[in-house]
Amino acid sequence: MLEQLNKLPRLPTLAAFRSLSPLARREMQHGMLFISIWIFGFFAFTFVPMVATLFFSFLNLKITDGILSTPDYAGIENYMRLVKDPLVWSTGATPGSFWVTVRFGLLALPVGIIVPLILALLMNSPHLKGQMLFRTLFYMPYIVPFVAAIYLWGGMLNPETGWINRTLMYFGMAKESVPLWANDESWVYPAYVLMGIWGVGNAMLIMLAGLQGVPTELYDAAKSDGANGWQTFWNVSFPMISPVIFYNVVLSIVGLFQYFQVPLVVNQGTGRPGGHTFFYNLYLYKTFFTYQDMSYGSTQAWFLFLIVLLVTLVLFSTAKYWVHYSGEAR
Amino acid sequence: MKKQLWSTMMVAVIASLVLAACAAPAPAPVAEPAAAAPATEAPAATEAPAATEAPAATEAPTAVPPTPEPTAYPLADCQAGKVCIRWFVGLGTGTDAAQIAMQEEVVTDYNASQDKIQLILEIVPHSSARDALSTQIASGNGPDLVGPVGWAGSNDFYGQWLDIGPSIKATGFDTSIFDPALIKFYQTEEGQVGLPFAVFPGGIFFVPSLFDEAGLAYPPQKYGEKYELDGKKVDWTWDVVTEIARRLTVDDAGNDASQDGFNSAKIVQVGYVPVWQSLQSVGTFYGGAAKMYSGEKAGSFASTIPDSWKAGFKWYYDGMYGKKPFIATGPLAGSPEFGAGNVFASGKAAMGLTQTWYTCCLGDFIKAGNEWQVGIQPMGADGKVHGRIDADTFRAWKGTKNPTEAFEVMAYLVTTGADKLLPVYGAMPAEARKTQAFFDAKAKDYPKVTKASWDVFVQGLAYPDAPSSEQYLPQSIKASTRLGTFMDLMNNTPDLDFDGEYKKLVDDLNTIYNEK
Repeated sequence: MLEQLNKLPRLPTLAAFRSLSPLARREMQHGMLFISIWIFGFFAFTFVPMVATLFFSFLNLKITDGILSTPDYAGIENYMRLVKDPLVWSTGATPGSFWVTVRFGLLALPVGIIVPLILALLMNSPHLKGQMLFRTLFYMPYIVPFVAAIYLWGGMLNPETGWINRTLMYFGMAKESVPLWANDESWVYPAYVLMGIWGVGNAMLIMLAGLQGVPTELYDAAKSDGANGWQTFWNVSFPMISPVIFYNVVLSIVGLFQYFQVPLVVNQGTGRPGGHTFFYNLYLYKTFFTYQDMSYGSTQAWFLFLIVLLVTLVLFSTAKYWVHYSGEAR
Repeated sequence: MKKQLWSTMMVAVIASLVLAACAAPAPAPVAEPAAAAPATEAPAATEAPAATEAPAATEAPTAVPPTPEPTAYPLADCQAGKVCIRWFVGLGTGTDAAQIAMQEEVVTDYNASQDKIQLILEIVPHSSARDALSTQIASGNGPDLVGPVGWAGSNDFYGQWLDIGPSIKATGFDTSIFDPALIKFYQTEEGQVGLPFAVFPGGIFFVPSLFDEAGLAYPPQKYGEKYELDGKKVDWTWDVVTEIARRLTVDDAGNDASQDGFNSAKIVQVGYVPVWQSLQSVGTFYGGAAKMYSGEKAGSFASTIPDSWKAGFKWYYDGMYGKKPFIATGPLAGSPEFGAGNVFASGKAAMGLTQTWYTCCLGDFIKAGNEWQVGIQPMGADGKVHGRIDADTFRAWKGTKNPTEAFEVMAYLVTTGADKLLPVYGAMPAEARKTQAFFDAKAKDYPKVTKASWDVFVQGLAYPDAPSSEQYLPQSIKASTRLGTFMDLMNNTPDLDFDGEYKKLVDDLNTIYNEK
């Protein structure tokens, strides 16, 4: 990864800038001008808040009885609290928010990658009639507003009046036996994953674009070598779209650590059932905006950042073993 | 060249603004249906927000539709030689355009009425009012008056309110214009923190046609009256409410919950629903008002939820998940068929216990051709009526430099000013002689509601909950959240280990109260 970073264009030094031709200098100035808006936004809304939260994490800053407390220096107290926090790690039989996130991720990540991949392969098949229609249909749920989608799913999965359970009961399943979906420890993650599958259209489209970029001569060569469908996929399609899969995996992992909206809306952010939907990011949100404990919230945010950074670095370090970049010697 | 550069720059700036405004949200992570993140707590599907912030004030059927909140309200200059009193609005209701206009009119009236005090209105958007007020107080620049605000909103600033008891004495303000119970209602550990202004007493809303269908008598409409059940005159207690609620809970085959063939999997009508009531409210109605903690400071606090409340919670839970249910469970209440959280208004609940502000939210119910009336609040096991009153009023900041003048203005607002303010707030006057006008206005919205029903609310003023079920709690936000979680758990969990979860609740509260 460092090699790739080294290849990135660098800002010229002042001397190098002076040595540019007048035209190149003007181009440079225009370029800087265009990017300056983004840089301003980045500093104002990302960099400064990040630095501020780092600073806060070493203070004791909270709002009590509507009044912002006078900040005291707390050293690493907030970090020590995080290390010991039962709501992060565990509370007796109830998993802590960190493990809730990890456990859900272990289920959701493979589904979130494999399902769009399979759909993309189907959409790319020359044997599929009405490709455009199917692509549109699979992508369409992605553009449905979030809250509307959640209410829709909430209605379908309602244990008492949802049509899924009504259908199950119609076929003779007793009320006591039907899944309680979002209210059941065993079913809540599958219910969430089901909601997620509904929105895989975007990932499917990215993978489809990757598949369509695979040179056809590779397939022809595989065919003439007598490769069957699986061999063609495993030896041609998969390596060729591995950068796209890698991209999706990275985004998905980052997204999973930030998983928050569904439990907030579906289970009202209470952690019900049995703390199994008390995701780390939900806890962070509550610490900041409900409990108004700015310092501890900042600490949690920085811990999340470090974990995501660590996982991403580990993922990048594995890339050389399975991600194939065309034209690159690996 | 320079001109070209500037033109390019202007186009770039405009384009970036347009793009920023129209930007698509970031790609959704795996397992999320779409991307846009709600920035704040989403509304609960089954339980609406607690009530003291009086939805009635802004959402009544007759009210002017809410307009965008102002972003910067111009403050008037303080005139030389006058004592200036700043009136902070935004913590509760009062930020709609029509309300602002009326508040301005009241300020003009007041300022024209005398030459010593100048009243200055300060409107802050509700979404930022809490932060704005805390900043002002922290910097020693708090307003003299705050309001209208309910218990929940004022609890966020517990310890910051002025005890107006000495001012009442000094000025000889006639408190007899209010029900003494309401005066007492505002006596807390901080002292007398307010005067009654806008009140929202409770009652049982009921649908007469569903009672007729079940062959049941209507709930009584005068406190002390008996209920006629199976030919016998009985006290209007929670046991009686439970019994008739069961008979009013019906499955799709027409069986009611008191019958053997009743199928709880196919409920099409429930007998009872606590309309948008918190856990504390359920406890108060069932077991009576109680202080929820003891102790003076962190380290010594302890939960003191009485056993009668615990019995109320158990009754509530069994009403949903017991063998003979009569209350809508969380999933049922959240379903579109049952009004997506507003069960009574769906027409599929025979009774709903709530407060006057709920008259805000029955427009569709009436349009569907339904009729509602109001019955009295039931008695608890101790033979006493445990009522509840939500209330908004004005409070004075204890750091005010002009407590006498602040009280003088407060007294004006709750009496003379109230004539203009209460109608725009959509609130029932606390001053008894002014209630008729309120009900006359309401009767226009709900012509079928009888005078006897409206009178239930007037009688309800004698049954406030003191201490309020929305009383201050140490670590109030965290503690309230934990109480809400227990309510949510009850609403949504069949086969709940009730005793185990209740013990956990109390243990957690004891921990939360004592956090430093």
